[in-house]
Amino acid sequence: MDEVLERTRSRAVRDGAIAAVLLAPSLAVLGVFGITPILGAVYLSLFDTHFGAGPFVGVGNYAKALTEEDFWKSFLVTFYYSVGTIPVGLVLSFAVALALFRILRARGLFRTMYFLPYVTSAVAAATVWRVLLHPQIGLTNLVLQWLGADPMQWLLEPRGVLYFLTDGRIPPTIGPSLSLCCVMLFDIWHASGFMIVIFLAGLTALPRQLEEAARIDGAGGAQVVWNVTLPLLSPTIFFLTVVSAIRSFQAFNSFFALTGDGRGPLNTTRNLTVYIYSSFYQFGYEGYGAALAALSSLAIVTMTIVQWRFAGRRVFYE
Amino acid sequence: MIRKTVLYLLLASGAVLTTFPFLWMVTTAFKTLPEAMSPSISLLPQQWQWYNFVETFHAAPFARYFYNSFLVAAVVTTCVILSSLMAGYTFARLDFPGKGVLFGVILATMMVPFEITLIPNFVIIKKLGWYNTYAALIVPWCANAFSIFLMRQGFLGVPGDYFDAAKVDGCGHLRFLAWIAAPLVKPTIITVGLFAFLGSYNALVWPLVITSEDEMRVVQVGLTFFWGAEGVRVNLLMCAATIVILPTVALYSIAQRHFLEGSLGAGIKG
Amino acid sequence: MKLKSACGLILCFLAALTGCAGPIEETVTGGTPAALRTFQPINPDAAVFWDRQTTETRQLLLQLADEFNRLHPDLPIKVEHSGGYTEINRKVAASIQAGALPSMAVAYESMTAEYVQAGAVAALDEFTRDPQRGLSAADLADFFPAVLETNRYSEFEGKMYSFPFCKSALMMYFNKRVLADAGFSQPPNTWDEFLEQCRQVKEKTGKFACALNVDCSTVDGMIYSMGGELVKDHATLFDSLEAMRVFELIETLVREKLAYQITRDSYDDESALAQDQIAFLFRSSSGRTSIARLMQGDMQRWGMTRIPQADPADPRTVLYGPNIVIFNTTPDQQRAAWEFVKFFTSPEIGVRWALGTGYIPIRRSAAQHPDVQAFWNEWEYNRAAFDCLAFARSEPNFAGWQEVRELVHDAETAILTGMKNARAAATELKQAADQVLSARHARSTR
Repeated sequence: MDEVLERTRSRAVRDGAIAAVLLAPSLAVLGVFGITPILGAVYLSLFDTHFGAGPFVGVGNYAKALTEEDFWKSFLVTFYYSVGTIPVGLVLSFAVALALFRILRARGLFRTMYFLPYVTSAVAAATVWRVLLHPQIGLTNLVLQWLGADPMQWLLEPRGVLYFLTDGRIPPTIGPSLSLCCVMLFDIWHASGFMIVIFLAGLTALPRQLEEAARIDGAGGAQVVWNVTLPLLSPTIFFLTVVSAIRSFQAFNSFFALTGDGRGPLNTTRNLTVYIYSSFYQFGYEGYGAALAALSSLAIVTMTIVQWRFAGRRVFYE
Repeated sequence: MIRKTVLYLLLASGAVLTTFPFLWMVTTAFKTLPEAMSPSISLLPQQWQWYNFVETFHAAPFARYFYNSFLVAAVVTTCVILSSLMAGYTFARLDFPGKGVLFGVILATMMVPFEITLIPNFVIIKKLGWYNTYAALIVPWCANAFSIFLMRQGFLGVPGDYFDAAKVDGCGHLRFLAWIAAPLVKPTIITVGLFAFLGSYNALVWPLVITSEDEMRVVQVGLTFFWGAEGVRVNLLMCAATIVILPTVALYSIAQRHFLEGSLGAGIKG
Repeated sequence: MKLKSACGLILCFLAALTGCAGPIEETVTGGTPAALRTFQPINPDAAVFWDRQTTETRQLLLQLADEFNRLHPDLPIKVEHSGGYTEINRKVAASIQAGALPSMAVAYESMTAEYVQAGAVAALDEFTRDPQRGLSAADLADFFPAVLETNRYSEFEGKMYSFPFCKSALMMYFNKRVLADAGFSQPPNTWDEFLEQCRQVKEKTGKFACALNVDCSTVDGMIYSMGGELVKDHATLFDSLEAMRVFELIETLVREKLAYQITRDSYDDESALAQDQIAFLFRSSSGRTSIARLMQGDMQRWGMTRIPQADPADPRTVLYGPNIVIFNTTPDQQRAAWEFVKFFTSPEIGVRWALGTGYIPIRRSAAQHPDVQAFWNEWEYNRAAFDCLAFARSEPNFAGWQEVRELVHDAETAILTGMKNARAAATELKQAADQVLSARHARSTR
């Protein structure tokens, strides 16, 4: 018995040594440039600094943020954005992936076409979108006019999209602005390529027998998808949801590149990250910006844990 | 048969919609300024002005920007692949105390908005004396949580028998990783590499803040500045966007063959 | 066990590093310039100058720096194009925290005030007064008062923290062809005439009369031209009669579909003017070069003049243009920077700069130079911006104005999109702006 224990222990020690060697490069980089700055930022959030100087205020910045309307407004923008992009993106990408999976010819070509937006930088892609959504020379308004509708202000429009959809019955300050919806549309376009590829990979890895068995039992195409394919794909869906949720909470480049300053008309596209950015760089309140970032990270961590608790276990250890 | 045709038609129209902005970008890049600025549905230029590209390269030192971007992205990609191979293997196949906590801490770095770590990072770079150097553009990005995560999943997806059969121990792990395990996760390696390349090539804020001189600029910063300087000339702007996008499109077209099938999907399962 | 101690070591290392990433623990005491901090130069071998000039004007600036470096070989000047004002502001903000700065950078007054409060900017008074390296009384008197005065910061003991670099004025650009179609041969002189012409343009041509770039400086200039003021004793006057007239005018323009809003940070108004799609736009006089290029050299089709006025006999407009700030780096760097500023603003260079860029000459002797005079006679509107110098005024130069600017943008956007009426927008703007300024005041006197 002792000998077995001894051997296991010495093996654990050896594994530990090997692990230390193998982890060293990653830990060195992430330690210095990933974790240290986080600790630095948390420390910074305890000071009310402005352009690099200011007194210690403890949790003052946190208290200020939580009682401030601007913080909650930007939180709401982040929320709209997540809710508006993730489900739509998932459904669309799944549909495309399923279709791509079913065809044999030209699959590579289609896949490249759908993945194209994802490989382009937000800056370059937004340059194009800004011109397409341009109120005067943009193609979107040209099409609207061709259809006999009034031109829209698109990215410049702070009024809510519900206001337009209901012909003004809902007040313009309720719900996400048209401008925010344009950013969402851009994001769905930009990120769906990633989702499609992951879905395709998931589909490829599925055992074919189950679907075939269901088919032999007389299930229709839609039934097979709903009852067999989707449940089997749940790890993929879960993975994409978690990653997209984190990504949508941190979205910045598309906001910045599309609206010029990120905050959009009347701050209607100012999400948490843009708010952090503008407190930090535009106005120089670094301590406050760091506190906002800590709160945002806390929200992301909480969200991920909740997702894991509710869905993760069920999905992974079925 | 009809169902297949409908499927193709739907896919094709979706693909056209998706790629339309690129089509429009490329054709606008060839238009004359007045044509580019006037509202019109016609996609094709009335007159193909190839000279736009010459003028774009003339207006900003894009050649230098490309050199920097490629250098930085290539080194970052190599380093990320190596570091995440090693770390991913460790988290997937080795046991050591504190493994779970360490993995959690690494994942946590993914959840903090990048904007906020920028200033502390700037301070560290400055202390190291790396300001305005390639080291500053490269080293902080040589490892990341997402790649480690993907690679771990990749290794988890490989059946355990392979590892047991090899009966690795001691230094054998390293040799095993290099000669047997790594080739098994080749699709994951290509995925991680592609994402690392895209991330590095498309990065904007960090290179903007950490470089000071024109010789050190990368293409995305160059494009942003070009926008500020030539924003009024839509055709040149589209030219610049086109040449900035081109390399990533080319790279993806090459990589996609190897990029996908199999292990990525399997790897995502726990 | 080894692993645990390794972890411990890493933790200690991290803790040590965190210490250096923290903020500087000193309180900025208000009223006075902040406790001075010194910064490492980002490049010890050259005096780096962060600038935003592009294309031809950048080439000229580089050439001038070369000439300067031949005359002053000890520490060379290096001009680095660092993006627009947004990017430069971001870089400076990050660099102040990191404790390393270039020798000098371009900055607007409101940004400068922030940098001063952070203790990052060198007061120039000791340089200007220095018997050997300074400027003589005659030299100082040669500068137009308006361009010099805006660089003295009353909030910081009236010291001079920046030096004029590129000066321009808010102008009205007009398209003669569109105006002629509407039956006018002259641009408007007063705001009433302006509104009338806009209505005629709409009626006769069906076009929008005007493209509006949402911009605080334009609103400020319009308030000045209505005879109004922006601030009094650190409280804003956005609810004054004059300001209200400006907001109501904007409201009328958009309600009657006489004007539309352009994308922020774009120059769509300039291309619309060049395409004969609008009659008017408001921009800094430095926009002359780019509009001329868009007009493809057709100088008969357009013109530029001072903005309309409430009282043409007592005109007002806004004075634009960044200044140079010299940061608190090493004495060598500062000396080199100051020498360059002196060189750059000398009359001969001032003439070449004005001719090459279209910026207003900032010294009397430069304005009287035959080459400048010849340039003014070349095209009837070349002198228009310079003529504004006699009555143009800068915007407030105290800390916090940068934040107020964003509030003004919001108020203007709210009016342009019909979210608020002019009166509500103006009242709420005044409240919000005053709150920002008093918070800043409280912060600096804490």
